[in-house]
This record gives sequence, C-alpha cells and structure tokens, in this order.
Amino acid sequence: MREVGLILSVLDHNAIELSPRISEAEVADYIALLKPRVMSLVVFTAMVGFFLAPGHVHPVLAITSILCIAVGGGASGALNMWYEGDIDALMSRTANRPIPRGRVTRPEALAFGMTLAFFSVMTLGILVNWLAGALLAFTIFFYVVVYTMWLKRWTAQNIVIGGAAGALPPVVAWAAATGSLSVEPILLFLIIFFWTPPHFWALALFRNDDYTRAGVPMLPVVAGPDATRLQILLYTVVLVAIAVAPWPLGYFDAVYGIASLILGAGMLGLAINVYRRRHGSAALRATRKLFAFSILYLFGLFAILLLEVVARAIAPLIW
Amino acid sequence: MDNQPKPDGIVLTEAQKKRRRERSIAIALALGVLVVLFFAVTMVKGPAVLTRPM
Repeated sequence: MREVGLILSVLDHNAIELSPRISEAEVADYIALLKPRVMSLVVFTAMVGFFLAPGHVHPVLAITSILCIAVGGGASGALNMWYEGDIDALMSRTANRPIPRGRVTRPEALAFGMTLAFFSVMTLGILVNWLAGALLAFTIFFYVVVYTMWLKRWTAQNIVIGGAAGALPPVVAWAAATGSLSVEPILLFLIIFFWTPPHFWALALFRNDDYTRAGVPMLPVVAGPDATRLQILLYTVVLVAIAVAPWPLGYFDAVYGIASLILGAGMLGLAINVYRRRHGSAALRATRKLFAFSILYLFGLFAILLLEVVARAIAPLIW
Repeated sequence: MDNQPKPDGIVLTEAQKKRRRERSIAIALALGVLVVLFFAVTMVKGPAVLTRPM
C-alpha cells in the first residue's frame, strides 16, 4: 500500500512537471531582455566606429551592420539575464527584470538569446564581411561566457577584464566598414575599456548592499570602499590620459583633444571628490555624481567624434 | 440547457490570447525585416553579393 502511495505521488509530481506552461510574456518583456539602455550605448559607440572608418559604405550596408551589432548586443543581454536569473532576484536594481518577475522563463530567455546571437552573427558575416561577423561572435562569447559565467562570480577584477566585451562594438563596426582593423578602433576600444572600471565601481559603491546580498565579488564587497575609491582614481587618471592621447598622436584633431581635456578634467575632479569624501551622504552624493558624469563623459567624447565626421561630410556641400 | 461540448486541454484566457497574438506579430515583423534586409543588400551588391571577403 505504501509503494502504491509512493508511485501515485511520483506520477502526480510528473503530471505537474509535464503540464504545459502558458507564457504570460508581453513583447515588452522580450524587449527588456535586450537591455535597451545598454543597447543604445552599443549602437552609439558602434556608429562612431563605423562612420570614423575611411571610405564610402552604401547606406543599406551601414544600416545592416549597425542593426546586426545592436541585435548581437541585445542577444548578449538576454543570455546574461538567462544565466543571472538567480542573483537578479536578490538585487533591487535587477529584481524587476522579466525572469525574476516570472514573466519569462530561463529556457525561454536562453532560446531567445541564442536565436538572436545566431542570426546577428550570420547576417553580419554573410551580408557584410566575416571579420566583422567573427568579432561580433567573439564579443557575445566574451560577454556571456568569459564575463557572465566565469569572471563575474569569481573575481573582483570581473568588470576590468569583462569590460573588453563592452569596448568591442566600435571595433566590430570599423571591421564591418573596412573589412580590416587599424589603430583608431583600438583607441576607441581602449577608451571604453578604461572607462568601464570607474563607471561600474562608482555604481558598486552605492549599490554595495545589493552586490553583498547577491554574493557578487565586486571590488567594494571584497576590498572595501576605500580601496575601491583609490582604484577609481587611478583608473580615471589612466582613462583621461588615454582619451587625450589620440590628439597629440595625430589620430583625432584638436577639437576632440580640447573637448577630451575639458571632459577629462570634470571626470578627474569628480573621481578626486569620491576619493576624498568617504562618509555619510556627501560620499554617496560624490559616487552618484561620478557615475552620472561618467555616462556623459563617454557620450561626449564619442559624440564629438561623430559630429566631426558629419561636419567633414557636409562641409563640401555648404562651402 | 447548454449543448456546447466542453473544450479539451488548456483554454487560454483573453489576456493570454492577446499576448500570444502580439508575440506572433513581433516574430512576423522580425522575419519580415530579415527578408527585406537580405533583398536590399542583394540589390545593392548585385553579383558581388557572392563575394564575401574575410
């Protein structure tokens, strides 16, 4: 009798497991999986890389390239959310994402991300060139496997090394426009690469409780806020120097150089402020200001490069 | 007396049907964009569409 009860219990359990789940997801939930805000930065930096490249590219190929890079970036976001469904639920910043809210299941997010990754890479490879396609595939791999699955939960240097994935879109775009690589996209890569640590460590400083609760070894969790403040300052010094360097080296012109100096001074001033103000609401304000300004800093640098390209293109039509 | 047979299996609510329809439309639009993209690039490149440099 006991065995019969056990069998019935197993059958009953299987019936629950096998019963089909009706998806409650709206289109907006799938759009949220793409991380639209991150995607917009990916698109913007990729556009700069694309239009900075020499030579003429047909507008249809330009749109195709940027679209593929955008979708590839979105695929990375979806695959990141698929893997991090457990820790996203523990952090207030991410608890509203579609997987923790129960709107999309993890297998659905995985299928969605893999499909987009496959189509974005293949479309870029087939329609534009395979160097760009391979670089996009590497970017997605690096973000999902190297950063999300390996580094993020393992080392406090997670966002330093993982930052390479976020820095690659302008390189992919340059490769899409030219079929080759050069010094300029590497400079753009380095600017984003060294921008990532001060930006994310500023975020980690005022979201320290979130990361501690989720067990993510961000630098403030592992080394403490003071060590993080020093690292933010050091990385900001390197960032400002690297961002200005293309001007004296002759790759970008004086307009960019002067703008880079002004924006760099602002970034450095705020990083010094974060280093000096270590307690209470003043410390919190300082880190929030640095975090917000760092977005403006990167946007400003890339916007100037884009405006210069546009100005050079339309100048012959005006004069 | 209600002579209509009861439906077998799962019956979707109106909200679930609406969401499923919206998801289907989004997939159709995405596939449409892909088709237009391949057509447009083929027109732009002409015979060179078969040449894909590394």
